Amino acid sequence: MSSLDLAQIQELKEIMEDAFDDLISTYLKDSEEKLVKLNQAISSQDSSEIAELAHSIKGASANIFAEELSELCRIVEDAGRANQVDNLSADLDAINTEFAKVKSELKALS
Amino acid sequence: MDETPLNILIADDNQSDRMILSAIVKKMGHQVCEAADGIQAVEQFTDKKPDIILLDVMMPNKNGQEAAIEIKQLAGEDMVPIIFLTSLQDAHDLAACLESGGDDFLSKPYNKIILQAKINAFSRMLKMHNTMQKQRDVIQENNEHMRHEQEVARAVYDNVAHSGCLDLPNIKYLLSPFSVFNGDVLLAARRPSGSVHILLGDFTGHGLPAAIGAMPLAEIFYGMTAKGFLMTDILREINAKLKNILPVGYFCCTCMVNLSFRRERMEVWMGGLPDFALYREADNKVEHIKSRHLPLGVLSSSAFNPETQAFAFKPGDKFYMWSDGIIEARNEQGELFGEERLFSTFNGSNSDLFFDNIINSVNDFAGENGKDDDTTLLELSMVDESVIGKVDIDLTSGAVTGPTDWHLSYTLRDETLKTFNPLPMMLNILNDVPSLRSISGQLYTLMAELFSNAFEHGVLGLDSKLKSSADGFAQYYQQRETAMANMVEEFVRFDFDLTPNSNATGGKLTIVVEDSGKGFDYKHLNKSSEGNLGYSGRGIPLISSLCDSLTYYGNGNKVEVVLSWKNRIEE
Repeated sequence: MSSLDLAQIQELKEIMEDAFDDLISTYLKDSEEKLVKLNQAISSQDSSEIAELAHSIKGASANIFAEELSELCRIVEDAGRANQVDNLSADLDAINTEFAKVKSELKALS
Repeated sequence: MDETPLNILIADDNQSDRMILSAIVKKMGHQVCEAADGIQAVEQFTDKKPDIILLDVMMPNKNGQEAAIEIKQLAGEDMVPIIFLTSLQDAHDLAACLESGGDDFLSKPYNKIILQAKINAFSRMLKMHNTMQKQRDVIQENNEHMRHEQEVARAVYDNVAHSGCLDLPNIKYLLSPFSVFNGDVLLAARRPSGSVHILLGDFTGHGLPAAIGAMPLAEIFYGMTAKGFLMTDILREINAKLKNILPVGYFCCTCMVNLSFRRERMEVWMGGLPDFALYREADNKVEHIKSRHLPLGVLSSSAFNPETQAFAFKPGDKFYMWSDGIIEARNEQGELFGEERLFSTFNGSNSDLFFDNIINSVNDFAGENGKDDDTTLLELSMVDESVIGKVDIDLTSGAVTGPTDWHLSYTLRDETLKTFNPLPMMLNILNDVPSLRSISGQLYTLMAELFSNAFEHGVLGLDSKLKSSADGFAQYYQQRETAMANMVEEFVRFDFDLTPNSNATGGKLTIVVEDSGKGFDYKHLNKSSEGNLGYSGRGIPLISSLCDSLTYYGNGNKVEVVLSWKNRIEE
């Protein structure tokens, strides 16, 4: 099953026209940086940093119709806000795995 | 989309989100400026003056809500719609976003159609808001312009109205500060004879229509009073003028009073006003004085009736005039103050307190409710003429040098005698002589007495003794009417002769008055004049006191008076 909503992303491609490739590489670069920071924040159990980073990745991922990734980030964001950050390694693994899938699918599209 | 391209600020710390929004907005034909955090958003707002702002909530440096508060403050009364970029699940954010000035929300993933709908809706709202602001500014400007005009109009009006003598010691009055524009008019002026004309007018309506009517009214009132015209002539003139210039439905409810100190009498003409109060000290009673006429400016000149009511007005007596603002003052329950309450203020107190009682009663009744001050009140009392002082008539518009050597003969025959008052016209001619101008009042009194003697006692043969009682007064005027109707080939002739003295340091005025009547036994005058009872009606002691010499000729139907003067040395 695809990690992206392909019908929606087709529409986004039409809106972005020539800038679509640029959008994808910007998204990937930005998200990769934030994922690194999220990994660090989770190991140091910094709740507010976790919430902020997960929120940011959640929004950006929703906008490129990576719904599963966005949903996984929401769970981590909520945990950060609820200050329950001692048991997030499984969630973080899921995010990292899902991001890798999104990345390869996006690269195939552009 | 709407035809006008807008400038739209996109503030989001996530670059890929900005790129998507920017692409959608540009596709709609609008311009875009971008900000990556809250601080940049406020800066961009100041620099680029965007029409609509798309604002992310969670941003570094300054979050969306803080930025929104600052932007709304900077915008002032301009409308700047802010659409918050947030997912609708974040319910705890939404309320805070609204509070900080947010107008709408857009959730991720961004939907092109929904964003278009929102932008178009706000675009229409902006247009409406701008139109409204422009119209409001125009209205405000017009309003200010009008207020300024009213201030100027008021200043002009004050210059006309304040040449009067409302400050005489026998007049107390209360005039609301905005009287010009509530349609109330209060005027007072001395006649050359020394008596006082007072006019209280209440124009229909408020504002400029009322003030405009007051201008000619005041001009005519002051102009004609100073020239010695009678109240009836002045009322006729004002009525004709107002009828002529005011639109249908606009008129002036008026009371005009002529107060004669010498005769201790008061003549009143009232049209369209509520009852006024006449207090007589002798029997300590208050009489209702009623309007007998329609307001000024309603009837044509031919239908207008200037007939006055005459009252004895003794020292201690008082006359109260008011505008309907007093009667129509309302309390908090909406009740009217009313005529009954107004007249009850006269009950049982010292007459010196009446004036203050009226004001206090109205204020107590109306309470805070009645602070609109739309009231005019005047108290008139009788005092000795010496308290009032001499008439100071300003005829500065006359020539500096005037005729100094001339003769004028003026004969008034039947029809003229019946209907015309020759005094203002004769006084005008004498006022052309600079030296006589300063004694204008004296001349008026002199000519009035001479004319009254020649016409009423000479031509009409009326007995002055009748006038000494109240009953006699009525009889006197009845006889006068009959005698006037039966006049055939009668006349009164005035001969004025003015000569300068030999070295031009003064001059001499001789007035000879001859009438077609039987004359009277002036030869016994000198013998009995000490008691001056028999001739008091002819005012002979008064005439003598005003001139250098008084001589009767023939049967007593011809009299000569002489006045001489020294020129005042010009500075």
